[in-house]
Amino acid sequence: MSSLFLPSGRVMLEALVLVLVAASAGLSLNYSMVMKAFSGRNVVAVPQAATQRAALQFPMPVDYEELDQLLAAGHLLVDARDPNIYADSHLAGAISLPLAEVDQLLAEFSARVPHDKPLILYCNGFGCPDSFDLGVRLIAEGYLQVQVYEGGLPEWRDRGRQLESGVTP
Amino acid sequence: MKQSLYHLCRLSLAGVFIYAGYLKGSDPVAFAGQVAAYQILPYAFNYLVAATLPFVELLCGVLLLLNQRVRPALLVLFGLNTVFMLALFSLVLRGLEVDCGCFQPAGEEGTGTSPQMALLRDAGLMLAILAAWVLRQQHAKEPLDG
Repeated sequence: MSSLFLPSGRVMLEALVLVLVAASAGLSLNYSMVMKAFSGRNVVAVPQAATQRAALQFPMPVDYEELDQLLAAGHLLVDARDPNIYADSHLAGAISLPLAEVDQLLAEFSARVPHDKPLILYCNGFGCPDSFDLGVRLIAEGYLQVQVYEGGLPEWRDRGRQLESGVTP
Repeated sequence: MKQSLYHLCRLSLAGVFIYAGYLKGSDPVAFAGQVAAYQILPYAFNYLVAATLPFVELLCGVLLLLNQRVRPALLVLFGLNTVFMLALFSLVLRGLEVDCGCFQPAGEEGTGTSPQMALLRDAGLMLAILAAWVLRQQHAKEPLDG
């Protein structure tokens, strides 16, 4: 029975040759990369990769002028403010995801809004960090297109646009 | 029956390792990054592994596909898979959540395979390797069988 499992000497020798042949093929094809690595030089430019990753983790801003076009294209408005203030008045069509309660609400939100849905977050305008912080959370959760409307509710209101009251249906 | 099981194991292993070897071999620098994420080898040796390992996988896969030198190829894959499983197990022990680097070298963040899943998959590959080995050995002992 053991002879079924143990390799013969010839098989072991052939295996060794196989490894040597493949390894030398790989080495000759990647000669410059390996030599660079062994001479202590960096093969990859690290800082560039790091900045690319940083850019991916933060939401990008969107201006009032771009807003209507994006909303027409199916972007979803998300209100990052307190739910009571949201109930008083919010941008037409916005749904509520308060930053303060994101830990409790994120699972439900995530189940309701697909991760490839483009989102536009807002709060109380310039100087309000909540929508940006919420954006970071949503990107970490796996949302692929998250933007922040920095003008927020004040700019929208001052432009004379429609506000709604009540809770999310 | 035994013969079709043997060919099934042989061909699926061939597919898996040709695929893995091709993907990693076409982007050795990215693959070296994934080997480095295991934090086992010193800096430059990650590149040595990245330069050679995909070609060993590729050659073994091709030999299995052609049904040539099957036992040496299986023996090498057995050795490789043992090393993979030890490395993955060390990730689990150290609590490192890195992408296993089994197939896609330049995968997007968060799409990789967790060490636990990769271990499970490697255990499956190990079964296929052992099955193919035993069936091939039996086959060699009964040459009249075809």
